[in-house]
Amino acid sequence: MEQYLELSGISKAFPGVQALKDVGFRATGGKVLALLGENGAGKSTLLKILSGDIKPDEGKIVLNGRELSFRSPHDALKSGISVIYQERQLMSAMSVMENIFAGDIPVKNGIVDYKTLKRETKKIIDQFGLPIDPETPVMFLSIAHQQMVEIMKAYRRDSLVIAFDEPTAPLTDTEIEILFNLIRRLKEQGKIILYVSHRLKEIFEVTDEIVVLKDGRFVTHVNTAETNEQDLIKYMVGRDIGDTYANLSRNDKYGDVLLEVNNLTTYAVHDVSFSLRKGEVLGFAGLVGAGRTEVMRAIFGADPIISGEIKLEGKKVEFKTPKDAIDAGIALCPEDRKEQGLVLWRSIEDNIIMPFLDKVRKWPFLDFKKSERVTIEAIKKYDIKTPTIDKIVVELSGGNQQKVILGRWTSSLVNTKLLILDEPTKGIDVGTKAEIYQMVCDLAKEGLGVIFISSELTEVINVADRIIVMKDGTITGEVLREEATEEKVLALAMASN
Amino acid sequence: MDNFTRISTFKKAIRSKAFPLLILFVIMIVLFTALAPLNDANFLTTRTFISILRDLSVPGFLAIGAGCLMVSGGIDLSQATVAAMTGVTIAVSVGWWNLPWYAAVIIALLIALCIGLVNAILVNELNMMPFIATMAMSTVTRAVMMLIATDQTGQMQGSINYNNPTLTLIGNYEIGGFLPATIIAMIIAFIFYGLLLSKTKFGRSVYLIGGNPMAARLAGINSKKTSYILFMNCSLMGGLAGLIYTSRVKQGSLSAMATDQFTGLTAAILGGISFGGGSGGMGGAFIGLLVIKTFNKGMTIIGASSYVTNVLSGALLLAALSFDYYSQRRQRKRIGA
Ligand SMILES: Nc1ncnc2c1ncn2[C@@H]1O[C@H](COP(=O)(O)OP(=O)(O)OP(=O)(O)O)[C@@H](O)[C@H]1O
Ligand SMILES: [Mg+2]
Repeated sequence: MEQYLELSGISKAFPGVQALKDVGFRATGGKVLALLGENGAGKSTLLKILSGDIKPDEGKIVLNGRELSFRSPHDALKSGISVIYQERQLMSAMSVMENIFAGDIPVKNGIVDYKTLKRETKKIIDQFGLPIDPETPVMFLSIAHQQMVEIMKAYRRDSLVIAFDEPTAPLTDTEIEILFNLIRRLKEQGKIILYVSHRLKEIFEVTDEIVVLKDGRFVTHVNTAETNEQDLIKYMVGRDIGDTYANLSRNDKYGDVLLEVNNLTTYAVHDVSFSLRKGEVLGFAGLVGAGRTEVMRAIFGADPIISGEIKLEGKKVEFKTPKDAIDAGIALCPEDRKEQGLVLWRSIEDNIIMPFLDKVRKWPFLDFKKSERVTIEAIKKYDIKTPTIDKIVVELSGGNQQKVILGRWTSSLVNTKLLILDEPTKGIDVGTKAEIYQMVCDLAKEGLGVIFISSELTEVINVADRIIVMKDGTITGEVLREEATEEKVLALAMASN
Repeated sequence: MDNFTRISTFKKAIRSKAFPLLILFVIMIVLFTALAPLNDANFLTTRTFISILRDLSVPGFLAIGAGCLMVSGGIDLSQATVAAMTGVTIAVSVGWWNLPWYAAVIIALLIALCIGLVNAILVNELNMMPFIATMAMSTVTRAVMMLIATDQTGQMQGSINYNNPTLTLIGNYEIGGFLPATIIAMIIAFIFYGLLLSKTKFGRSVYLIGGNPMAARLAGINSKKTSYILFMNCSLMGGLAGLIYTSRVKQGSLSAMATDQFTGLTAAILGGISFGGGSGGMGGAFIGLLVIKTFNKGMTIIGASSYVTNVLSGALLLAALSFDYYSQRRQRKRIGA
């Protein structure tokens, strides 16, 4: 008997937005079905409906001929549907094993059976081939490993339907490979798999069919083998955007040296030296945990420096707090939007003016006209999908949340000399990605120095003028764009010094 | 969808957590007005409301200080003790040591500020949890207060009387002979802190720190400074409450205002300031207090026994908190967060 999941006529409205309108398609067992669409197209909303977290206004979910209706996420799990959310849902103070077995902790005589719990968790971790200790609290793991714990949690439940919402966004190649092997294995077992990602490369690598959504509506359902990138982009965006990288208009005139880092050592990085000129886009590549983020945090005054010096425009600087760095003209767009970037339960407006409260003042109050103007500018610049400027950020789609952070640090209020972007395109759709690359180049033309960290190799070697590669907290090499290939960068990222 | 306007202030007010309380307030007025004649009394009079507002001024100051701090994600359990300490210090200074009243007030308020400062240091420099740090400070303060309240014969006095007409006037002066000045002071304070929280740079930082301290720090918001200000302000408000109370009852008392701490906190929570921080405001806290005090007053007027009043006010609190919990869960559900 063929297993299938059929959605029909699914609609869902939020105040001011029609997130989904009459969406329907059929996913079959043993196949991976991709859900594709721009930021805010309704992909996550659809998955949240599948997981019983949100009730649809209309529509039917049928699994193997049986119509399902959920009163809670628990019902969906019982019916055999597991969804791995875009935003991590782990209990961060609890151990890995408690998270993986949450809801089904083994008990013996009414007491938690830690032995079994640990053994079973170890089994799963070994199947994945990951260096994770079952007893570590989740908050001490890297973001990539936290994401893998999330995936193991769903795997452990052995559900018939498994849906992944942008699972690879926080991962690097090593974990992505592990994940893809897992997906292939699940496929062989005949599971029904849904897969959301903005990375087309992955879509072609791992999926069999593709459903495209646009503005909450179904656009098309195609076989992956019978389509190509150009067509998909056209379905998603509604127009041709051409070759993202070839069409970039870059800066070719560099100014003086802007930033000089000499022998920087912190708790996480060792003896890091590099320099950046005005107008230059400097890429940082490496695997997760290579120490790229930590270098930037030290420059930004967020982490203490053990030794080494930092010079900005030739002058030695010592930032005690991020505020000092911001005042000196440095902006850091952090990689983890939920933890470090956004105040989720506050408005878009608050999140955008956050670092510049001083500049939106009309004594003694805030200048609400000005802050409204600045916010609307950012919303328009990045095409953030929202009905009002005071929508709370937690209600935005993942990609649109990321755009709020970008909008903050590139707003007209900033007098930035150095812009540090840590994984800025995480969760951003193809069309907007192209715009972000162009924005980076435009800022460089204006004379800013830009540091661009990305774990997507293609992206970093095509956008940056020069790429520094890190591993285990040290710099292992440097390549110019003209000579950069993925192999070369990867070899440096995995070099055994 | 092209001119991304704001939600109107009116809509915001309706959606706020304090709005159901406002409705509750109106319902209570109607009920008490209807029931009062059964007890041969009258509820709907100016006197009733003046008396409600007067009862509200001491916990009002407490709620202002505690509320602002809670919006930033902090909490202060020593505030009521600070209030009592202020009262005792003033009474002892004036009644036993014969200091001028203003010197007594200044000394007492400085002590209050110092306790706030210590709280802030414990939390910010020693990274103690606010809950624990301020609880410990409350114990220490109480001990010091007992020491101060010990007279020459080595006897600890539960309450210390003083005789100073000027000092007594602070809490008892009535404008035009009927409107207590403390009401005006409290209302001005609520408006001042309300504007501070909702309209100024400082206020905005308080909300952002309460919402996500790490993100706030990375966006250059000085959370340490803000925390110091809020802890010290919380204690200072405790001090002002203590001053008004002591002036009103003409004595300093070791056990004064012990329950007002919880009235203040409860009101703040009822009004939408959550324990986690980042939400709510002064308007909500005020309405929260208004509801609590109106209920107590109304019950007295209709002649309910204090036993019934206590049971019902407990029930009211539970109902309000579960409503809050329910609406929050519904909101989270809508968002799928
Ligand atoms: N709880 C909510 N309240 C209000 N609007 C919401 C809520 N959740 C989602 N939306 C809106 O619904 C639309 C669809 O959001 P959804 O998260 O499904 O998009 P998505 O396709 O997953 O986008 P992304 O690629 O950015 O993750 C967006 O416009 C979003 O702002
Ligand atoms: Mg999404």
